[in-house]
Amino acid sequence: MTRSAIQSRSAWPAIAARTALALLGGYAFTYAFTAALARLLPLDPVDAVTAASLLSFVVYLLFMLWAFASASLRRVLVAVGIAIPLAIVGFWPQLMEVLG
Amino acid sequence: MNGSALFASLLLTYAGMLGFCLGKERHWKQLVNPHVPTGLRRLCAPFGGLLLGLAIYASCQVWPGGMAVVGWFGLISLAGFALLLLLPYAPRLALSLPLLGGLVWAAAALT
Amino acid sequence: MKGSLTQSMSWLHTWCGLLLGWMLFAIFLTGTLAVFDKEINWWMQPELSDQALSPAAAANVAQRWLAERHPDETNWNISLPTARAPDLAVSVGERRRGGGGVTHLDPLSGATVEPRETIGGNFFFHFHYTLHLPRTLGVWVVGFAAMAMLVALISGIIIHKKIFKEFFTFRPAKGQRSWLDAHNASAVLLLPFHLMITYTGLAIFFLLYMPAAVNALYDGDRQAYFRDAQSGRAAEQAPRGEGRGSKAVSAPAAPLLPLSEIVGRAEAHYGQGMIGSLAVSNPGRANAQVTARPVLGNRIELSKGEGMVFDGVSGKLIQAPEPSRTSQLTQRVMAGLHFAQFGGYPMRWLYFICGLISCAMIGTGLVLYAVKQRKQAKANAQFLRVVESLNVAVVAGLLLACITLLWANRLLPAELAARQNWELRLFFGVWALSWLHAWLRKPLSAWREQLLAAALLALALPALDLWSAQDTLDVMRLSLLASVASMGLLLGWTVWKIPTVIAARNARSARLDRPAAGASS
Repeated sequence: MTRSAIQSRSAWPAIAARTALALLGGYAFTYAFTAALARLLPLDPVDAVTAASLLSFVVYLLFMLWAFASASLRRVLVAVGIAIPLAIVGFWPQLMEVLG
Repeated sequence: MNGSALFASLLLTYAGMLGFCLGKERHWKQLVNPHVPTGLRRLCAPFGGLLLGLAIYASCQVWPGGMAVVGWFGLISLAGFALLLLLPYAPRLALSLPLLGGLVWAAAALT
Repeated sequence: MKGSLTQSMSWLHTWCGLLLGWMLFAIFLTGTLAVFDKEINWWMQPELSDQALSPAAAANVAQRWLAERHPDETNWNISLPTARAPDLAVSVGERRRGGGGVTHLDPLSGATVEPRETIGGNFFFHFHYTLHLPRTLGVWVVGFAAMAMLVALISGIIIHKKIFKEFFTFRPAKGQRSWLDAHNASAVLLLPFHLMITYTGLAIFFLLYMPAAVNALYDGDRQAYFRDAQSGRAAEQAPRGEGRGSKAVSAPAAPLLPLSEIVGRAEAHYGQGMIGSLAVSNPGRANAQVTARPVLGNRIELSKGEGMVFDGVSGKLIQAPEPSRTSQLTQRVMAGLHFAQFGGYPMRWLYFICGLISCAMIGTGLVLYAVKQRKQAKANAQFLRVVESLNVAVVAGLLLACITLLWANRLLPAELAARQNWELRLFFGVWALSWLHAWLRKPLSAWREQLLAAALLALALPALDLWSAQDTLDVMRLSLLASVASMGLLLGWTVWKIPTVIAARNARSARLDRPAAGASS
């Protein structure tokens, strides 16, 4: 890293935000994605759970790499936001129960 | 445990990696001599691949089924790493190891 | 991030690798040692001896002892002698994690043997996946480190432009260039291993790390998931004896079949010498059952807990292990690839050597960062000092602590009370001292002194054993001593090389007008 110390010091909040989005937002995204995938896979529940859960690490990995490579922080935030519709897909029955 | 087959798979993976290595101009110059016959050099990598293929066969004599593939991957990595260490420190040994090893293996197989 | 993909990935690789590298080194080193956990256990309890008795005969000895001492117990557990753990041990009642309440028996005479209490090779195994933290927290921390490892691996691949060109490139004694070469080479040549071992490590606790699917499809009921997963495999839990907690219900008395019979029948399925343990429920009663569990190793799939259930009176097979469904097989094969319990000693050694090279990859990466920073005029001196001392403490210090544990095992008196705590104190104490030493000394001196100490202890270990425990030495223990001594030689060679490195570095900086600037590739 040859960027000057001055530049990196003022970039700390941005770095912290991106790291938080990548780690925590990424986990949230992966969680929702895994639930949705398990719900949508045309397999027996036990097989769908196993397949989706085992694949989740790749999803999390790719999300984190992309989060750090992405040019704008906003895009990462939007991506994390996609966790919400994914979670709705994944937890559809539970949501229906709650809504009555 | 089939010791002979294990030794053979070690030798074959090493020779295979040596083939890939010699396929690169830089290492041919380092190991053989500064004059690089392009035709011969270009054969090294495919030949190395062939040896690695033979190594799977040898590996299957050591371990059953899927284990043989796992062992093969491990042997390739370690053979490559051994070659890497020999290149700067003992280049002549690096080149002659397959021949020497082959002689040892043959001698052991015959006794 | 501003800049190209290479720049952002380079930044990510550096910081992810540095901040998690120390933890990862500890995980990888203890994991590598855990490959031989049972062998280390055996060495650390020299009171036990290998009587070379067949498991079947040993089973009868255990049965006799248990029938004499604990005829009324409803659960017996017998740990049979195996190739990696040639001791015979029994326990009664609930099978508790941690191995408390275990009695060792001499397989020939049936007399009890009291080996010294030790944390054993199992310590390395547990440290590997918990970092000695409370179990759940530890598992999570290690999982986090594993994800960081994956990030570091992939980002490393992305930024390594000349990955094929420099496949076999290693130029020693050239300072930063050599460290980079070593880091690249150990990473690239063992890439299949690194990716496999990291991913499969996560796959072991996959439901813990990502419970989303279970929460969505099973409402979080993991037991329901497991029931679905192994509907045919009720032998996961050995049938429990009656009378546990509730009123004792007795079936009529009936003699228990000689356990060697059961072992023989189980061996017909699993192979000779492949029976690891027997669990007897309701011994001496008509409803007695014996579960024979295999030693892991016949296949990659991790079949922990699997077993064959026999009727204890007639010896008839009640339940055989069923083949797993595909998704379960996949997860078990992944776990099996990580646990490395298959393929015999050749495979075990492959894993061990690959593990050591992984440690070297992480170590060279950590040192590379420090070497690079040292050359930069704008480096943060305080931070660099922390990094350099942590490098020494984690790499050299942990090595020193591990070899100290082996020494402590021999030097601490066998009858010492709370012996295990003392072994732990010495391990962590030496490790803590190593950080203090690394903080107080200059980096190169700290490296040299700690590595030298570790090398000397490793080289002297065989002498210690020959002096104090020579009649307990068998092939397994001698092999351990030879391996430790070899590693001592390797460490010694490293220490010997350090003055050459210093001389070369001084010569280089004397030749140049100013220190070489920044990164080269």
